[in-house]
Amino acid sequence: MEHAEAVETVHAAYSALPALLVLVPLLAALLVRPFGKRWPSVRNAFVVGTSGLVLLGSLAMIGPVGASHRIECEIPAMLGTLRFTVDSFGLLFAIFTSFVWFCSTLYSLDYLKHEHAHDRYHATSLVVLAANLGVVLAGDLVTLYLFFEALGLVAFLLVIHTETEEAKRASLKYLWMTVIGGFMLVGGIFLTYAIGGDGTLSPIAFREGTETLRWVASILLLLGFGVKAGMLPVHVWLPDAHPVAPSPASALLSGVMIKAGAYGIFRTLLALMRPEVAEHLEESAWHFTSQLGLVVLWIGIATMFIGVGLALGQKNAKRMLAYHSVSQMGFILAGLGAAGYLGAHGAMGVAGGLYHVLNHALFKSCLFLGVGAVFFRTGELDMYKLGGLWKKMPLTFLFTLIAACGITGVPLFNGFVSKCLIHHALVEAAEYHELVSLGIAEKIFIVTCGGTACSFIKLIGFVFLGKPKQEYGPEVKDAPPRMLAAMGMLSAAIITLGVVPQLVIKGIFEPGLELWGIHPAILDEYLEKLFLSPADLMSVAIAFAIGATVFMVGMRFGLFHLKAPKWFGVDYWYGRAAVGLIAFCGFLGAWYDLGRGFLGDGLRWSRSRYRAEWARIDRARRRFVLTLATGAPGPRDQHFVQGAYVTLERERQATVRRAVSDAMAQAREWPERSEADCRGYVDAVRSVANYMAGRIFRERMGVVSDLVRYGLAEEVRHGFDDVVRETVPSRDIVSATSLALASRRMAGDNVTREISAAVNAVLSQERFDSRLARLVPVHGHLARAAGTGEVVRQALPDLAAIRAYRAEGLTRLERSARWVTDITRLAVEAVTQERSSWLLDDRFGDESVLGTRRAIQRYARDMSFNVAMIALVALAFLVALGIRS
Amino acid sequence: MVRSVVPPLAFLLPMIGAAGVIPLTAKAPRLRKIALAMICLLEIAVAVSFIPGVLSGTEYETHLVQLTPKIWMYLHVDAMGALFGLTASVLWLLALVYSFGYMEGEHRLTRYYVFFMLALSWTMGVAYAGNLLTFLIFYEMFSILTYPLIVHEETPEAMAAGTKYIIYILIGGSLVLLAIVFTFFLAGEQTLAAQGGLLAISMGKGKLTAVFWCFVVGFGVKAALVPLHGWVPDAHPAAPAPFSAVLSGVMVAAGSFGIMRVVFNVFGVALLRELDVMRWLTYIAAFTVVFAALLAVSQDNLKRRLAYSTISQMGYVALGVGLLGQEAVTGALVHIANHAFMKGALFLCAGLLIKRAGIHRVSEIDGLAQKMPITAAAFLVATLAMIGTPPLSGFVSKWFLGLGMLDVGQPAYLAVLLGGALLAAVYLMPIVYAAYFRPPSAAVLAIPERKGAEAPASMLGPLVAAVLITVLLGIASSLPGMPLSLARLAAAIAFK
Repeated sequence: MEHAEAVETVHAAYSALPALLVLVPLLAALLVRPFGKRWPSVRNAFVVGTSGLVLLGSLAMIGPVGASHRIECEIPAMLGTLRFTVDSFGLLFAIFTSFVWFCSTLYSLDYLKHEHAHDRYHATSLVVLAANLGVVLAGDLVTLYLFFEALGLVAFLLVIHTETEEAKRASLKYLWMTVIGGFMLVGGIFLTYAIGGDGTLSPIAFREGTETLRWVASILLLLGFGVKAGMLPVHVWLPDAHPVAPSPASALLSGVMIKAGAYGIFRTLLALMRPEVAEHLEESAWHFTSQLGLVVLWIGIATMFIGVGLALGQKNAKRMLAYHSVSQMGFILAGLGAAGYLGAHGAMGVAGGLYHVLNHALFKSCLFLGVGAVFFRTGELDMYKLGGLWKKMPLTFLFTLIAACGITGVPLFNGFVSKCLIHHALVEAAEYHELVSLGIAEKIFIVTCGGTACSFIKLIGFVFLGKPKQEYGPEVKDAPPRMLAAMGMLSAAIITLGVVPQLVIKGIFEPGLELWGIHPAILDEYLEKLFLSPADLMSVAIAFAIGATVFMVGMRFGLFHLKAPKWFGVDYWYGRAAVGLIAFCGFLGAWYDLGRGFLGDGLRWSRSRYRAEWARIDRARRRFVLTLATGAPGPRDQHFVQGAYVTLERERQATVRRAVSDAMAQAREWPERSEADCRGYVDAVRSVANYMAGRIFRERMGVVSDLVRYGLAEEVRHGFDDVVRETVPSRDIVSATSLALASRRMAGDNVTREISAAVNAVLSQERFDSRLARLVPVHGHLARAAGTGEVVRQALPDLAAIRAYRAEGLTRLERSARWVTDITRLAVEAVTQERSSWLLDDRFGDESVLGTRRAIQRYARDMSFNVAMIALVALAFLVALGIRS
Repeated sequence: MVRSVVPPLAFLLPMIGAAGVIPLTAKAPRLRKIALAMICLLEIAVAVSFIPGVLSGTEYETHLVQLTPKIWMYLHVDAMGALFGLTASVLWLLALVYSFGYMEGEHRLTRYYVFFMLALSWTMGVAYAGNLLTFLIFYEMFSILTYPLIVHEETPEAMAAGTKYIIYILIGGSLVLLAIVFTFFLAGEQTLAAQGGLLAISMGKGKLTAVFWCFVVGFGVKAALVPLHGWVPDAHPAAPAPFSAVLSGVMVAAGSFGIMRVVFNVFGVALLRELDVMRWLTYIAAFTVVFAALLAVSQDNLKRRLAYSTISQMGYVALGVGLLGQEAVTGALVHIANHAFMKGALFLCAGLLIKRAGIHRVSEIDGLAQKMPITAAAFLVATLAMIGTPPLSGFVSKWFLGLGMLDVGQPAYLAVLLGGALLAAVYLMPIVYAAYFRPPSAAVLAIPERKGAEAPASMLGPLVAAVLITVLLGIASSLPGMPLSLARLAAAIAFK
């Protein structure tokens, strides 16, 4: 069905082809699960068929692109439209992408027998294919970003496919690098708008004053794409993630997907940051591109060299290949960078870089498939534990050897051509402005080629040649035919491109470069004069000589097993930064919570504080109002009087009790007397003591009320209880007197005079008033005399004054106002007096009665206040009426 | 301007539901569910019915009640209001249907549904209010009367959160009231104008600045601008999950909506440029975005983490408004709609976790995908949308915000935009990863088996719908009638 649809559209309109190439695998991915659930073989045929169809579709674009240089198509989606534009470079990427995908899919059918979740793998693979094609066919930056993100995020499932611990660790690193790279990319894309871009992949004209932004945008784009491309220093995920995926997925990851990053860098450098093509282009127009190119070039040189250095230390074959991916990306970047540096003369660099993209896709995927086949049969990836497999797996050996020849740049294999092109570009760049540093770069390039050669001498030598390091069982035989077919196709392509480079150089690069204002003539010159020239062969020979030397020295001294300390890699520092960020967030959260806690406590504290203060103010206000309304003694004095009353009352009762208990003790010593006699005696003592204590109490209370009247209550209050305690000896006198007088009382004599005399003696002895007076500071007297209550009281007129008002000729209103005030005052005064009399009345002795009385007193006080308030309101009303009238 | 009787329906319909349907159907829960869902559907129909007209340049108005000789209660549907109303009504339907499953067996359902519908009513009133006083009335009602929903569970935490909420909201509300009184004092009663212009620079720079800040701080409490955000992280975990979704998606956004009304319809862009106050709003918003996101990273309670995320996302909206650029405002407006559904989806996921698995904490989510695949997938999609992955809806709003930053010549804010998004990845991606690739936690293993799907359809349905809307708002964002078209129109009107 898919076939029919695609074929029909091919005839109908070529321009819809790019969109279809993206949509077909995407829709096909939806069908993988339904098929795979019931008929796995149908699913297998379906996924291979789909990828084959996509390959055909890509090839079908050659015609139209060749005819009209670019084809376009739009899908209405997202922010308006998704735009696809295919020029010859995009076409190149699309073709090799779909070709390698087809081979890998074919290979995966058998390979996955060892793995789980086939449906997930195939569905993911198809989605990633769609995304990858979307990236290289995208016509504007938003479309490109959409597919780039999709590619990165969905490919996560390929990395984690095996779900081992190692895979999980690697995939997490991959995920975060991808996400961060995505943000850098989108930041860069935004900034292209800031420097005048319109979102398409066409040159952004240089404007004055935007140079910094232009640099920032370029660097962000470079990093964003570079993450995917395995560019130094953001390559760290790659050597972890590529080896842990199943081999066909590794082939895709290393062979194709990182090319999406290379594609992005290529477009950034040579499509966005390039000057517009014009009739008379000045050399200075290329200035920015040239500078950026130099940066890319050096990043490329560093990437290739460090990548190879790290690859040499690996023993896991797939990991080694992954490091070579980093290194080979360095070659590509160096080529592209040289192209940017050389500007209009950079055809050699562009061709070298892009040709290497194509070549690397082929040989690296072939290598991964080859190593995968070895793993498929032996279950071993450690190079040092294998050996002698060429006899057991001859075809696998052959294809891997072809790919190794490709990557090391053996003449007549594809790598040779692209490496020579890049080498020429570097030499040209060194000669362009005679930069010595670029001469060094060229030397590093040769050394890196040597390192590559050494690495693959190792791989082939340890895995396929030499003596077997272990016994191989019968299951170790050549890979199944479909796997071999996949590798075979890739190998064929490797050799083809090595023998006839004209195919790509003339067919794709020259027309594309011409359009961009880069002179392609130099490529013709290369093909005619330099291809397979002695000089180039010589440089390859030098590289191999270096490689062989390194191999010998390394093996002799065991250099391949050296391990760098972990802080040496940027990886370690990225990890530290990530951990640091999380820790920082944790700290921030903890501090924030702490701060919030403090704030909450503070709020609660101030609330309770506020309540306490408010209550205090409220009490003071009530007291003030009460003082205003009822005059002295104010509530504090009242309180003191009440307290004193209770204290003295207790003292009185204690005195009586003391006399009674003394009497009873004495009665017990009189055994000869009758009980009635004794009771009479005690009663007599009680009545005498009661009378005496009562008198003493009244006298003392009189002292207290005198003091209060003088306004001295405040001064006396604190020492009062002590003074009362000092009067305890009076009890003895009262007791002794009552015992002495009891018998006379019983006899019916009048003992009033004696009692009075005794009381007077007690009073004069205890000097209660002077004791209290001692508590009063000297100046207190005057101060209290001017007490608020008194002042208020004196300020208000009395009845006589009221009568006098009538004669003063005041208005009716004023008169009535005064009348109301005075009536209020009089009422309040009356109540106050009434209350004071209650207070000093001691007709009741019982505690509960005391309490009740106090309650009534409080009620009276509040009522007096209320009356005052009502009166005030009424007054206000009257005033208001007066104003109205 | 077209006079129409439809706008009042927007807030009358749910009121009818609350006053009539719910008490009458106390004995017939099925009938009640159907009736309430129908009311919400009608509500959506009302909201949708305005859109063709609004897009073609027609605006609807209704003079409702005369409050004083000079002041009418007045409804007016413009592009901005239509966008907000549409978002609110659709999200409300989802949350309502979700409530049917979520609130099954909870106490005091009548109270819950009554206030739930009333809240919708006030929200629609806020969306379509045509002058400041009408806006204020609906805004205050809706702020205060959502209290019973927040404390619905009546746990001590919920009560404390409710107290906090009401204190914050009342302070904010009184500042808004003060600002409105001030505006009346300066400008007299006027309807919200399309390009502002109620106030003029001749009224005094100082006074205008004071009014502006009263408005912004008042609405900022609702919009959760740091440091006025204190109620958000407490209220969200306390409220029932469907209401958390609404709270995050619409209620917090109502604060941002209020700020927009003030900026575009009361002051107007030209005046604010002259006053030079928006700069500070931008600083606050930028700080909000980053600070809240940083705090979200360290939260273990899932709903709390999402609440901080809401604060951060609403910071984007305020940032977009603060930049005073047409593209940025488009981004801010469309982010209200987009965020409503993606955050709604996340909260609905959190609700499912609570209801089905008793999981409240992020650290218990390990291996969830094995037991609850649909929930995990929904969480994944919503997370990607939050991060701003194309083609989901989050990307669309961030794209316009980013373009807006460049438009007004402040590319430095891109760092805030992308930093916030990166932090969103930091606080959400680990959850997704744990759900899919970690061995199941004890809590996940203890999830009771259930016949059929992993949860009742009334809960899964709204979740899936929210996720689909999120996808749709991304892929089909440029279709006419989508929030983006309304946002573009509203921004164009504001910057005319």
